[in-house]
Amino acid sequence: MRNTTKEVIGLDIGTSRIVAARRENDGYGFEAQLNAFVTIPYSRITENVLTKESVPHCVNGAEITVFGNEAARIADLLNVETRRPMTRGVLNPGEPQSLAQIRRLLTSVLGEAPKQGHKVCFTVPAPGVGSEENITYHETMIRQILRDFGYEVRSLNEGLAVIYGELEDSNYTGVGISFGGGLCNVALAYMSVPVLSFSTPKGGDFIDSSAAAVTGELANRVRLVKEDGFSLNGHYSEKIHQALSVYYDDMMQSVVNGLKEAFEASRNVPKLGKKIPLVLSGGSALPAGFRDRFEKLIQEASLPVQFSEIRLASDPLYATAKGALVAALAD
Amino acid sequence: MNQRIGRPGEERSFDLAWRPPRRIVEQIVGWRARQISDPVERLRYLQRSASGASKHRHSLGWRRRTAIFLLGFLLIPPPTASDANISPLRIRETVPVPGEASAEPEPPPVWLVERTPDYEVYSNGLRIETRFTVSYQPRKYPIYSEDWSQIEPIGWGAEPVGIVYHSTESDQAPFEEEQNRKLKYLGEALLRYVRQHKSYHYVIDRFGRIFRIVDEGSSANHAGYSVWASGGRAFVNLNRSFLGIALEAQTQHGDEVQGPAITPAQVHAARVLTEMLRSRYRISARNCVTHAQVSVSPSAARIGYHTDWASDFPFDELGLPDNYAVPPPSLYGFGFGYDSLFEKVAGVSLRNGLQLAEERLRQDASASGLAVPAYRARLQQRYRRLIAALNAESALEENDDEKHD
Ligand SMILES: Nc1ncnc2c1ncn2[C@@H]1O[C@H](COP(=O)(O)OP(=O)(O)O)[C@@H](O)[C@H]1O
Ligand SMILES: [Mg+2]
Repeated sequence: MRNTTKEVIGLDIGTSRIVAARRENDGYGFEAQLNAFVTIPYSRITENVLTKESVPHCVNGAEITVFGNEAARIADLLNVETRRPMTRGVLNPGEPQSLAQIRRLLTSVLGEAPKQGHKVCFTVPAPGVGSEENITYHETMIRQILRDFGYEVRSLNEGLAVIYGELEDSNYTGVGISFGGGLCNVALAYMSVPVLSFSTPKGGDFIDSSAAAVTGELANRVRLVKEDGFSLNGHYSEKIHQALSVYYDDMMQSVVNGLKEAFEASRNVPKLGKKIPLVLSGGSALPAGFRDRFEKLIQEASLPVQFSEIRLASDPLYATAKGALVAALAD
Repeated sequence: MNQRIGRPGEERSFDLAWRPPRRIVEQIVGWRARQISDPVERLRYLQRSASGASKHRHSLGWRRRTAIFLLGFLLIPPPTASDANISPLRIRETVPVPGEASAEPEPPPVWLVERTPDYEVYSNGLRIETRFTVSYQPRKYPIYSEDWSQIEPIGWGAEPVGIVYHSTESDQAPFEEEQNRKLKYLGEALLRYVRQHKSYHYVIDRFGRIFRIVDEGSSANHAGYSVWASGGRAFVNLNRSFLGIALEAQTQHGDEVQGPAITPAQVHAARVLTEMLRSRYRISARNCVTHAQVSVSPSAARIGYHTDWASDFPFDELGLPDNYAVPPPSLYGFGFGYDSLFEKVAGVSLRNGLQLAEERLRQDASASGLAVPAYRARLQQRYRRLIAALNAESALEENDDEKHD
């Protein structure tokens, strides 16, 4: 059959990382790139090194743009901030190169070959901060880029993607949350049907920049510290860690408040009368102690919905992409 | 907080009106979905099931919507045993069971307004003619556990728990003014017959007049060998546990199908009577069923010994859910079958109910490690033992009565 060679891809287009998921043998394979870039002055030597180490980059006249995973390390070496094609879940209106860089990043996770008739399902944030128009613009532009590559394209709410990626055991009933860089995305589905979703504007970036502001560090530096074994265990010897824990609480509390508001605004959700699971995903959910801390905040909030369990996704960094793939395959 | 609430996908407004699927639907679909081990297939099944329902969301009443919802699920091919994706049955306790009473809308409260020697009038406009009323055997009945795990009753009841709707299948005249005399004559003859045989608690004649024949505190000979269950409780031989309401009508037209079997006046009467009885005895909507759904033939081990109201009962107009779609407990609890005749007279919704019951039986069989015929035989034996115990019980009871006389 002709169709068997057609690729189906789940694509998580996050503020922080872009992840592509594909079905592979018995399981899933993932390809990820940091959604960031950095420009450095051009030199032949630098370019040779980058090429030799197959670091994604391109040359623009007197500058080299390094994008993806290596961008953060290089930025840290040069003591500059990375540049970000996206902010708060959508294309960054303050970054003139956003579209061009997104296109490059997508090429690097999707591959170069033309994709006529292949399918891709990409995630979009729920309305929240940025105006709705921002999401519409963002979604339209991403869709256009993917169409230009030749894909058949559809989009999927990010929180719902977490549910599709993680909650098959409850027949896709429950709450999925993605704690990302730009946003936290929350959705509730009932037997696969989306019931509500929202996003909150405080994610990993908010933690980084807030902690940077109070400690006088660069946000990129704070981020690297945060990602290097920081844990929410209540004992913080360093000032950065102290600051991180404060803003971590802030991020989690916003999500809990959002849940409370959303549940209470709904006529029937509070009447569910049965416990549903809640699953946590996203890079910002990675620190040790995160789940326990979040559960505590949930308990304190006395929500009108009870949870049968609160757990981390099996692979928090890939849950969204996997869910998008599952949705694309189920189409 | 700087945040708005939205619904994912095309509509971005928060879906205040969302409501979960009805319990029965949820259980059936959820159970089927769990048979699918591949996550993609499972999602596809659930999504297709749900979209089948949402198409009809706005145009129809919720009861009809539920029926269509259910139908949608049924039309989607269920996972079959040969499907490599199907995992062995995992979760035993999630097999579909009829919905709980609490999930149903409460009937409006109805109270007695006035009582004379000849009639009663109720707050919802119901008027009951009482001059033919007789008493009969006292109402006392065993309650079984819905999973039939034991043949001993789990309790005893003395108040009606349900309603069985019948049609009298008596002689009919065309419903026309010139036929008035004949219509009245046939109706009166019917009342005499019913009174003599204690056939039903209520008769609704073709003009929508409601006659109480056997008083509500007595049992009536309306349901014979019959089985029903809901909300964890099961009932066998419903004469004593359920009230019988008969509509003067013929529902079995044979091949030449005519218009509606009952008149608008009868529909209205059945509705207000049902409201009153449900209100008075707190009867679950799930226990308001038709004779064809509950009647069984023990010797043939088949459902549908009587086939009145095997289709087209106006559940919706009576303020009831489409109970035809509920899998009949006699099939999955006692391994009863049905013949092609019954299948022919059954409406589409009841046929779906039958199919669901069959499927549940198959799953139960495989869960207990038995082939279907062996499992069925075991269930049928369970029924025979239960009936034997029940008969022994009532024989003893009659003895008792005699002593007291
Ligand atoms: N090990 C880690 N510990 C703490 N935070 C982490 C870790 N790894 C990644 N993060 C943070 O997770 C966020 C990115 O998460 P991700 O789910 O990829 O976000 P997005 O959906 O925005 O792309 C960033 O703020 C990043 O700093
Ligand atoms: Mg994300």
